Amino acid sequence: MDERWANIDLVFRNGLKDFEVLPPPEVWDSIKPAIKVKPRPFIYMRAAAMIAVLLTISFLAYRWSREISKVPDTQLMAFEIDKFSPVIVPAVSVQTVITSSIVDGKEKNVVTPLLSSLISGNSENSVPRENMTSSFTSGLTTSEINNLSLGRNFATNVPLQTKMTSSNVKSIELTPVIPEYIPESSTTNSIERWSIAAMASPTYYSTFNSDNNDLSRQISASEQSVVSYSGGVALSYKLNKRFSIQTGLYYSSLGQEIDGINSFGGFQKYDYTKGDYNFAVLTSSGTVYIDNADVFVASSTPGERILTAYTNDVFDPNKANLEYISNTLIQNFSFLELPVVLRYKVVDKTFDINLIGGISYNMMVNNSVYTMVEGSKYPIGKTEGLDMINLSSSLGMGLEYNFSKKLSLNLEPTFRYYLNTFNEPAGTTIHPYSFGVFSGISYRF
Amino acid sequence: MSEITKIINGCLAGDRRDQELLYRRHASKLYAVCLQYSGNDEEARDILQEGFIKIFENLSHYKHEGSFEGWMRRITVNTALEKFRSRHNLYRVDDIDTIQEPDADPDNQDYAGLEANDLLEIIRELPPKYRMVFNLYAIEGYSHNEISKMLNISEGTSKSNLSRARMILQRRVGSYTGIRKRAANG
Repeated sequence: MDERWANIDLVFRNGLKDFEVLPPPEVWDSIKPAIKVKPRPFIYMRAAAMIAVLLTISFLAYRWSREISKVPDTQLMAFEIDKFSPVIVPAVSVQTVITSSIVDGKEKNVVTPLLSSLISGNSENSVPRENMTSSFTSGLTTSEINNLSLGRNFATNVPLQTKMTSSNVKSIELTPVIPEYIPESSTTNSIERWSIAAMASPTYYSTFNSDNNDLSRQISASEQSVVSYSGGVALSYKLNKRFSIQTGLYYSSLGQEIDGINSFGGFQKYDYTKGDYNFAVLTSSGTVYIDNADVFVASSTPGERILTAYTNDVFDPNKANLEYISNTLIQNFSFLELPVVLRYKVVDKTFDINLIGGISYNMMVNNSVYTMVEGSKYPIGKTEGLDMINLSSSLGMGLEYNFSKKLSLNLEPTFRYYLNTFNEPAGTTIHPYSFGVFSGISYRF
Repeated sequence: MSEITKIINGCLAGDRRDQELLYRRHASKLYAVCLQYSGNDEEARDILQEGFIKIFENLSHYKHEGSFEGWMRRITVNTALEKFRSRHNLYRVDDIDTIQEPDADPDNQDYAGLEANDLLEIIRELPPKYRMVFNLYAIEGYSHNEISKMLNISEGTSKSNLSRARMILQRRVGSYTGIRKRAANG
């Protein structure tokens, strides 16, 4: 009996011997979290290095901005009597004579500066010693002096220390408690700290490939960047004269062409497999699963970049008279981006120059793979296993032409490096980057 | 050092790229095995997932003797067996009396034109106990003695299940080839 049935055993054994069916992509997604993985320190090192560089640049730039705007450490404040506004004078010990006099039946201390050149009517912030003229010769009471010095503009922010040296003839030394305090001129009180800008840019997308194996070489060689675009609204806040912090909302579309992948239509009638996908194509941005059941794909070059049970020796699209579509796949991703960017103004003139650095959180809103048929898109699949949120760092230079107080024209060449790759394929180490020249108009308010 | 050894070493070191490479290279073949041992796609996916997790967990026990693919296949089959054991009480085996004898003598049966997909579909239509015994005996090459221990049944039951499985398969193959011939003749 066994011998008689051996025939059917052989039919099944031989028929199923090399049979393959692509499993659904979610199986690997379920396996991944369950298996041990060694942390990849170099990724974190790169991210840490990038952050460290940005912080160092920011710190040095901040220090530099402080250096160039520093005034002498010891300085005094005097007042324009008419305007009651503070004036900075160089370090000088101010002594005033306070004499007693009877006014309206009450004793009042009258203050007279000993320096003949202390206060002037000059509205400049710094008053040269030789230009100082006595403006305090008109009698002021001690309380009036205190009101002037402690009240109004600086009552809480910059209290002055008053030193009385004698009962009848007293010296008052006025020294600001916060020597660094630099009162801004009346014009800077109305500084526009906020600005909003509309920006757009063509974007060039590509990848760094640090592996040297056959697979990654094959992948890199067949991928061509397509010029994509990015645009959105940026809102920035001026922290001080040099630094601004910027955020906003951008939409960006990135893409690449994958050459050497021949696609054919009309495959559905030959497809008897049970899996959801018959073809998986490895790309630098992740594995593309062909979910269009009518499409057959084959690599025009030998290699492992297409995973399928329908290998050349199993199925020949030409013999089956499938309709040739194209030899290029186009992979497209769209993101909503939320950048957090620090801007440092290197040159502050009519034509400003800024250094720009920061990070951006990118949320994927579209992921498609298609090919072109007579000028129109023919969807054939999508890239699987991508993170919905990824992080990128950016570094750029902003050129800003101020054609009015409120409006300026911006041009920002920006390089962006993706800290976590979209979905690094097995056997390769590939890091995407993009370069764009953003241009737009900003409005300050 | 062979490429597969490099990949295994990478997996042992916890390199995600090598883990994915190992999976991508062998998942299709092992998924076909899972489909062969399961009655539905969901069960097949579960077997593949659990099987691969065991493969990764037990890579350090692989001695680099014999075929690595065979080692992975054995783990996958064992996973399918565990699934079967945990569920077999829920399965109803067709009444043996209701199974008809094949119409044709197996020696004279024409198997031409049957694709792997057809064979897989036919084998998955078997009742689970028959499918399990047939797979283990006819495909994997285990003896009835081994199968009896694996499935915790007697050798006689194993032989009987195999016999019933063959009869069912014979009948289904006959109907498949008959349909094909009628279709070919118009």
